[in-house]
Amino acid sequence: MKIFNKLTVSSIFLTLFISIPGLILISNVFVDSNNWTHLVDTVLFEYIYNSLYIMFGVAILTIFLGFTTAYITTFFKFFGSHFFHYGLILPFAIPTYIMSYIYGGMFDITGSVTTFILDLMGKTLNEVYFFDIMSIEGAIIVMSLVLYPYVYLISKTYLKSESSSIIEASKTMGLTNFQIFYKVILPISRPAIVAGAILAVMEAVADYGVMDYYGVSTFVTGIFRTWLGMGSVEDASKLASMLMLFVFLLIFLERFQRKNKRYKSSGKDFKPIVKEKITGFKAVLAFFACFIPFFFGFLLPFSQMSYWFYISYEEIIDEDFLTILYQTLGLGISSSIIITALAFIIVYNVRIHKSKIADNLVQIAKLGYSIPGAVVAVGVLSFFSYIDKSFDILLSGTVIAVIFGYIVRFIAISINNYESGFSKIPQSYDDACKTMQVGSFYTFFKVIFPLLKGSIMTSFIVIFIETLKELPLTMILRPFNFDTLPVLSHELVTQAQVIESAVPAMFIVLFGMVSVLVLVKKMVKD
Amino acid sequence: MIKQIILSFFIFTSFVFASSEVNVYSHRHYDTDKQLYKMFEEKMGIKVNVVNADANALIKRLESEGEKSPADVLITVDAGRLYQAKSKELIQSIESKYLMEVVPENMRDEDNKWFALTKRVRAFIVPIDSNIEIKTYEDLIKPEYKKMIMVRSSNHVYNQSMLAAVIAHHGEEYALKWAQGVVKNMARKPRGNDRYQVKAVANGIGKIAIANTYYVGKMIGNKDIAESEAVKKVKIIFPKFENGGTHINVSGAGVAKYAPNKENAIKFIEFLLSPEAQDLFANGNFEYPVAKGVKKNDVVSSWGTFEEDNISINTMGKYNINAVKIFDKAGWK
Repeated sequence: MKIFNKLTVSSIFLTLFISIPGLILISNVFVDSNNWTHLVDTVLFEYIYNSLYIMFGVAILTIFLGFTTAYITTFFKFFGSHFFHYGLILPFAIPTYIMSYIYGGMFDITGSVTTFILDLMGKTLNEVYFFDIMSIEGAIIVMSLVLYPYVYLISKTYLKSESSSIIEASKTMGLTNFQIFYKVILPISRPAIVAGAILAVMEAVADYGVMDYYGVSTFVTGIFRTWLGMGSVEDASKLASMLMLFVFLLIFLERFQRKNKRYKSSGKDFKPIVKEKITGFKAVLAFFACFIPFFFGFLLPFSQMSYWFYISYEEIIDEDFLTILYQTLGLGISSSIIITALAFIIVYNVRIHKSKIADNLVQIAKLGYSIPGAVVAVGVLSFFSYIDKSFDILLSGTVIAVIFGYIVRFIAISINNYESGFSKIPQSYDDACKTMQVGSFYTFFKVIFPLLKGSIMTSFIVIFIETLKELPLTMILRPFNFDTLPVLSHELVTQAQVIESAVPAMFIVLFGMVSVLVLVKKMVKD
Repeated sequence: MIKQIILSFFIFTSFVFASSEVNVYSHRHYDTDKQLYKMFEEKMGIKVNVVNADANALIKRLESEGEKSPADVLITVDAGRLYQAKSKELIQSIESKYLMEVVPENMRDEDNKWFALTKRVRAFIVPIDSNIEIKTYEDLIKPEYKKMIMVRSSNHVYNQSMLAAVIAHHGEEYALKWAQGVVKNMARKPRGNDRYQVKAVANGIGKIAIANTYYVGKMIGNKDIAESEAVKKVKIIFPKFENGGTHINVSGAGVAKYAPNKENAIKFIEFLLSPEAQDLFANGNFEYPVAKGVKKNDVVSSWGTFEEDNISINTMGKYNINAVKIFDKAGWK
């Protein structure tokens, strides 16, 4: 019994610790500020409208791209299906801001692809209508192309573990593939789809780079503008708190609606899924359904990057670059280990105690993901400056500050992953262990851990990729002479060396790709 | 391998400060700056440690760190942030005969808390073959320039400082009218960076881009063909204010209030204003040197001359908040 108490205490302590930067922000809501009326009168409505539009758009598009492809590659065999199995995760390795530069460069109305097509047609921009990628819809498309793997990955892990007997039963009842998809697979996959989509939406709504470059005003660009332009941390915090409230409502609504619909595997009769071989028109359709997101999400931007890399790598790769590479990897690996471990404590507490408090703790811990990196950094700075003063040490401006920032910002990903993973492990396993009076340690190591290995691995890899891509938080909190690949890439972009910036970006993508391959290998083995 | 990486990461967390070093918080992150740091290290035997980030983030960091801050020097790319650092008492007055000699009076703080390092000019970029003869910033709101103007979003400090200068010249009421007028004349919603506006002019999306001139310099011969081709199709017009000159902004440096290496910090700023460093600023980044007697880059000289605006650089910092609010009211995204 003692372990349970320890678990609860550590879980509460951890959650509080993680929430402090957020709480510091929220505390500003009650501070009088000069600009709030101005914001309400002028720009607030636009921030709300655009943020909602982006949330909605990204949710729809990532679910559409991510789930269809997860379904197709899990249940069917066709030309290329084995390749798409991992190929579809690859866009995830490309940072959104780099994607937005590449897409801007190719598809905006002065972009290379656009001008090429116009030249081919012998027309000018005034004569034909061209969709401008540098718009709110363009931002939604670019973000979704990078973020759909969240839905794909979580749905796929979930679908694979679902008992194939459900599908078989549906088939014996005479349902067609489409009916099985619509009436059986889609409803039972809801927890996974929603978990993936919420991550995608939270990341999209916290983005600054893409929105600023494409000229879209959202809460986040507003937060920066208010903080940086008006010098008002209080008003910026109010906006950030509103954003958190938005995301909190989103999570709450989803949970409220799901309450009466728990789809959990019975755990009985588990059989691996036997993929159905499809040919002809169906196979072509399946191929293109997978190829399109892969092409636009990865192949096209990657080809452009490869070309840029080829013409500039000699200039960029030197001794300093290797140090940066080493620092980036060290930071990524250590934060992934720490975050994966901490998230487990919080989620496992919910599993064991099933209390409202435990449940709410999880939701609070998740909120950091909706706060933009730079805003998290401000919270971390305020918190650490308090610790520094109280204990006469200097934590601000150390790698510890950076990792703490990563924990606040990314633990939600790990938690969502575990939640989805735990939902597949029938509660009856725990209950059986209890009736057999098996100790909690034994239950954990012999029963829970082996079943959860996939989720732990996924969490580690996804966090690794995320930290590898993270920019603003790292920039603000890092120590002297400490650079990471995204920081270098960003610096090159700001000094007009967009082509050279592809070199560090390429390494980010390559590390991401290697991680993805490890992940897929693991998934295949499972 | 993993063990080694983890071990070394803990080493990064510890601060080991040698006595002969200078710790710099800088918003500038150009190749030329890195060369300058190396030059300083070689010449003075003082190690330069750098954190690069947005000026506001660095100011916030200085504020949070308080007396414990390891920072010696703060460098920003615009006057507004230097003003902010000063008003938050994060930088201190310094005495330097050399700096007083080489930095013109309007290029330094009245209490010697900061000194400009380089100048940037916000000008108009028009198609090379166009006969547009726009002369003043005030002209931008004339109806004849309808659907012609392109500019980045008002989130950026370059635009905020420009509107602050409008406020300084004409007051807030006119500034609002002006911002509304510019919005009305825009060829498209603000988006992209300054280089993007130049490309848009070259591709005929609009006729007048508002951009800092050093971007034009950086686009010449750029590996990105879209940029190097675009810049061949444009020319620069230096506008002026009706009752003043061409709008300029500065990047500048100050010594942090609690600088642990104050002497090195002063030496460092003096070095940045030495002829050799100023020469590198001018040639490497197409900026205008601040120190008296340093020549401009040849490309920059070829763009022509202009008279600098007469308002105090401090004013831009003072009116920054008002500028942002006016942008919001005018609907300048």
